[in-house]
Amino acid sequence: MTYEPPVTDYDHIVENCTCAFCGCNCDDLDYLVKDGHVVAVRHACRLGASKIMEDMDQRLIVPMIRDENGELKEVDWDTALDKAAEYIANSIRPVFYGWSETSTETMKEGVALGEYIGAVLDNQATICHGPSLQAVQNAGYPIQTLGEVQNRADMIAYSGSNAMNSHPRHMARYAVFCRGYFRQRGRFDRTVVTMDPKFSDTAKCSDKWIGFEQNGDYGFYNAIRAVLRGKELYQDVISGIPKEDIYELAEEMKNAEFGVLFFGLGLTHTLSKQRNIDIAIKMVQDLNKYSKWGLTPMRGHFNVNGFNIFMAFECGFAFGVDYCRGYPRYMMGETNTIDLLVRKEPDCFMVIAADPGAHFPNGANQHLADIPVIQIDIHWGPSTELADVVLPGSFIGVECAGTSYRMDGVPIFMKKAIDKPETCRDDEWIVRELKERVMKLREEPNTAPKYVPNPNAL
Amino acid sequence: MHYANTYLEKPVVPDVKITGEGTTDVLKCMLNTGSDIYQGACKKRGSTLKEEYKNASGTCYMDPRDMAKLGVNNWDTVLVKTDFGEVVLNCAVSRDAPHEGTVFVCKGPWANTIVSHDTYCCSDPTYKGIRCTVEKTDRKVLLMADLMRWVYKKYVDEEDDDVVENMDSLGELPVYHGRKWEELIDHDL
Amino acid sequence: MEYILKNGIVYDPANEVNGEKMDVMFKDGIIVDDVSADAEVLDVTDKIVMPAGIDPHAHVAGPKLVVGRLYRPEDSRRGVTQKTKVLRSESGFSIPSCPATGYRYSRLGYGTVVEAAMPPLEAKHTHEEIATIPQIDIPAMPLFGNNWFVMEYAKDNNIEDIAAFVAAWLKLTKGYGIKIVNPCGSEAWGWGMNVHGINDKAPYFDVTSKEVVVALAKANEMLNLPHSIHIHPNDLGHPGNVPTTIETMDCVKDVKKGSKAAEIRDQVMHVCHLQFHSYTGNSWKDAASGAEEVADYINKHDHITCDIGQVTLDETTTMTADAPMEYDLFKLSGLKWANKDIECETAAGIIPCIYSAKNPVNTLQWAIGLELFLHIDDPWKVCLTTDHPNAGPFTRYPRIISWLMSNTRRMEMIENREVHKWAEKRTTLATLDREYDFYDIATISRAAPARIYGFTDKGALTPGYRADIAVYDINPNDIDPSRQYAEIEKGFNVADYTIKDGQILVKDKEIVKVKESQNVWVNVQGWEKNEEKVINNIMPFFTQYYSVKWENYPVHDHYVSNPIRIDVDGK
Repeated sequence: MTYEPPVTDYDHIVENCTCAFCGCNCDDLDYLVKDGHVVAVRHACRLGASKIMEDMDQRLIVPMIRDENGELKEVDWDTALDKAAEYIANSIRPVFYGWSETSTETMKEGVALGEYIGAVLDNQATICHGPSLQAVQNAGYPIQTLGEVQNRADMIAYSGSNAMNSHPRHMARYAVFCRGYFRQRGRFDRTVVTMDPKFSDTAKCSDKWIGFEQNGDYGFYNAIRAVLRGKELYQDVISGIPKEDIYELAEEMKNAEFGVLFFGLGLTHTLSKQRNIDIAIKMVQDLNKYSKWGLTPMRGHFNVNGFNIFMAFECGFAFGVDYCRGYPRYMMGETNTIDLLVRKEPDCFMVIAADPGAHFPNGANQHLADIPVIQIDIHWGPSTELADVVLPGSFIGVECAGTSYRMDGVPIFMKKAIDKPETCRDDEWIVRELKERVMKLREEPNTAPKYVPNPNAL
Repeated sequence: MHYANTYLEKPVVPDVKITGEGTTDVLKCMLNTGSDIYQGACKKRGSTLKEEYKNASGTCYMDPRDMAKLGVNNWDTVLVKTDFGEVVLNCAVSRDAPHEGTVFVCKGPWANTIVSHDTYCCSDPTYKGIRCTVEKTDRKVLLMADLMRWVYKKYVDEEDDDVVENMDSLGELPVYHGRKWEELIDHDL
Repeated sequence: MEYILKNGIVYDPANEVNGEKMDVMFKDGIIVDDVSADAEVLDVTDKIVMPAGIDPHAHVAGPKLVVGRLYRPEDSRRGVTQKTKVLRSESGFSIPSCPATGYRYSRLGYGTVVEAAMPPLEAKHTHEEIATIPQIDIPAMPLFGNNWFVMEYAKDNNIEDIAAFVAAWLKLTKGYGIKIVNPCGSEAWGWGMNVHGINDKAPYFDVTSKEVVVALAKANEMLNLPHSIHIHPNDLGHPGNVPTTIETMDCVKDVKKGSKAAEIRDQVMHVCHLQFHSYTGNSWKDAASGAEEVADYINKHDHITCDIGQVTLDETTTMTADAPMEYDLFKLSGLKWANKDIECETAAGIIPCIYSAKNPVNTLQWAIGLELFLHIDDPWKVCLTTDHPNAGPFTRYPRIISWLMSNTRRMEMIENREVHKWAEKRTTLATLDREYDFYDIATISRAAPARIYGFTDKGALTPGYRADIAVYDINPNDIDPSRQYAEIEKGFNVADYTIKDGQILVKDKEIVKVKESQNVWVNVQGWEKNEEKVINNIMPFFTQYYSVKWENYPVHDHYVSNPIRIDVDGK
């Protein structure tokens, strides 16, 4: 990297903007604006800054449809929306995937459309913290806001999460380095433990690295639980960790005044999936017999938690909600995007504010090559290479205001700082337009002639 | 206009100097995928067509001892195979080494070709802890658009992998018929 | 539009109308004396007409609810219903989705529901849900009892600054009044501890629960808020908590009501879900009812009102800003435990709970609730609640009404062993033969909550009031509630008509119209200077120790698109 002089040529500063990158939702960014463009960002991490200082080469600017040669071609908004609405209205198993990088206001229109037409609505949780949600449904959910961590925590554990790379300000702003009301010396008042097979950048700045072996997470947490419950460990080495180290760690965790376990995809993506989180949650519950412990999943996108929260209050389920019968259904492994795609069920796929092209395994994405794909996004990405209709949206938190939920569930109003490109539209407007056009094309399927109460709820 | 610049052509990796041919042609390893800060920054900036994304996401990070076994140096290319597919990647020394026997590939279209789509009924594919083999190759790492074309062939009339792999590159800029941003946005760079 | 509800049998306790056959008229959303000949006639001959129901304490919107829904898909599945041309799909039993919540209240004939606990930091979330719930008005009560600023001011007995703080926070959060939950206890939970009794101090804060309660009560009256402080006392759910409960009620007996507040309400403290606070004994082994003692205090003192939190003997989801208590429940039941601590403000806990009639403790709780209803003489001092969803879902109100109206049914349950024998061994329930009449029912579910909240536009059929009306298909002159308790439950289960602001939402027991809900909040006037001063004083602290920027803290107008603002002259 070469040295770059600071940007000094700007018209004005917009303060306290919210970062639209990870689940930290840092709301203290300052944008330096010149001629209606953000020319630099203050306070953001490398990730946040690079997102806000977007690559205009790849900005989706105009609505496009694939022509007969398979090439994308600019069309006017009406044509593009009509084409997309036609795909949706003519489908019998549409899937609307994404939503984690847009506002809850947009989701509101999305759920209205999905409920109307009988679609599956799913978000990125399905490929990141879906197993965490499943574990939460098995075992419970002891969490706290990040300010609690800042003010009280004297022990922080990162498990299967490389915060320094994926949530770079997490340690600085909320968990480790920051000064808290009861932790006036910041970093010096806290013990940081990283549990990860990799000696990650987070591990490098921790007090302790527990490098359990690949797929060893389940065994390791069970061992800690056993020790917490006063059992003796018979094996000398468990999941690659000497038992003395496990005793020592358990003792330290018991003696913490306020501990927090932050866990990431390292736990959800390995073989034991939700069982890893199950056991981690139970470990935290056990620890509460001795001291105060909580946990928080390190949510990746700035509004991935928002979609789960939003869907929970709209329909009672967090993600993977199937409206095809006129009422919400949710079944892990059945109504989720990856499973649907692998089974080749969907016949229309709308991706909004997400990039399955970049993040789904090929075994799932292969089906996208066979069905119409509608993309609503701000950048040309791998998914654009598979899209049949492209609708350019606007950038929440920069060009458009909206609500998001931080990883700990704190709602943030992300304000608008600059105008969007004239040819783009707000996500909320796009989805509302689609909804209205679909409603004109097809009468609402799957409605009951009369309200019939569920006998189980009586 | 002066914009702050976050572009970085290649991730910064530790130096290594492997001499000799190596001791094996095919190395059996454990594959992990995930994100790192270079991949994240590049992806979310939107620069996915660029050389930068290819280098951030299409790179197999290895323990230097494993690199010695194969006889490869930073930014040589390797072919990684799993039960689910194969892909050509750059190789480079992992910043998180030592982790002999494990390779790390950032998530992205390259990793997607070799990870497991199996969710075991829990919504989430198995992105980590997959058995793989790594071998030296002369093939080139494809840019994102070329890779998507090679893998999915959604808009080409050609079935043969080798033919598609060697088609003219789609390049580092979006290919479409229509107005470009330079024409639309009033700016002065 | 003009309407006339013809020939109904009207129960309107606020106007002392007790079962008179008369017409009720409304025009453009307001109750009126007279309508023109063009008025549409709705024939409700010999049916019960009451003001629409008011639920003074329920948990219907906010972060706790979402955690509940998120982690209990089994509960969501239990209540799924298919959408119709008018209605969206529903889900949930104890924690219904937002649309289901609104529809179900509307079917019960309710028009207003108070969301009883709103953490200020996440108030935006609460308001997002309120906006998603259709059909009802929803005031929300921000939490103050464990707020660090409040505790600091209370320690210094700085009532004026607390008042200014409350006035400012009601504006910031779009809240209605002061909610206190386990004062100092939820802060102690920040360290995995609790306070025991009202004279215990929060760790590090050097202030007792009693000091916080009294200070907030004084501030409440200084501001002339329409509602009094609304308290969930310490020691909820613990055997032997009666002394704490009584001491809590007693500590504000000398607090003088604000002069303007005195015109619209009677109490200086509303104690919620009193059932959970009326246990004697030292452990669950020897626990028994303290209802008589608690009711006796209320009968002898006019500064207290309460709601009950009646256990309905269902599988439900408990959720409260009393997090340490929820952890105690987890230790007892081992069911999945959720917890949510919120910086500088509060802590909530959630756990599923299976109230079983076969279980001695659950039966005891069930009986204590009914005892309180029957021991408290003045129905104006007591409200019908289940502390939804804590003691049971609100959809069980009709069943509770049937229990209250029928001693026959209660004795049947006890004698047939439908409930555990603790009901007669450890409570006085079997000795109480009082039966509520329709007038009493209208009082505890309409008139009393309206007066307690200082509503001056609902809860009665007074001309000029909002036309919030419920009609039930029960002929009071042709039913013996004591014997026909099943018909009572059935009759109150679905209203014949539910009218909200003059709009007919339910007709012939079907929802025919969906209406956007409205948030109700209190705007204190005259304290602007003090508010500014307090905010300036706390700003350095806020900037350092909150995890959001001040600019992001308030509930922006964006979230309350259609509020009812109650302006209160605070000086």
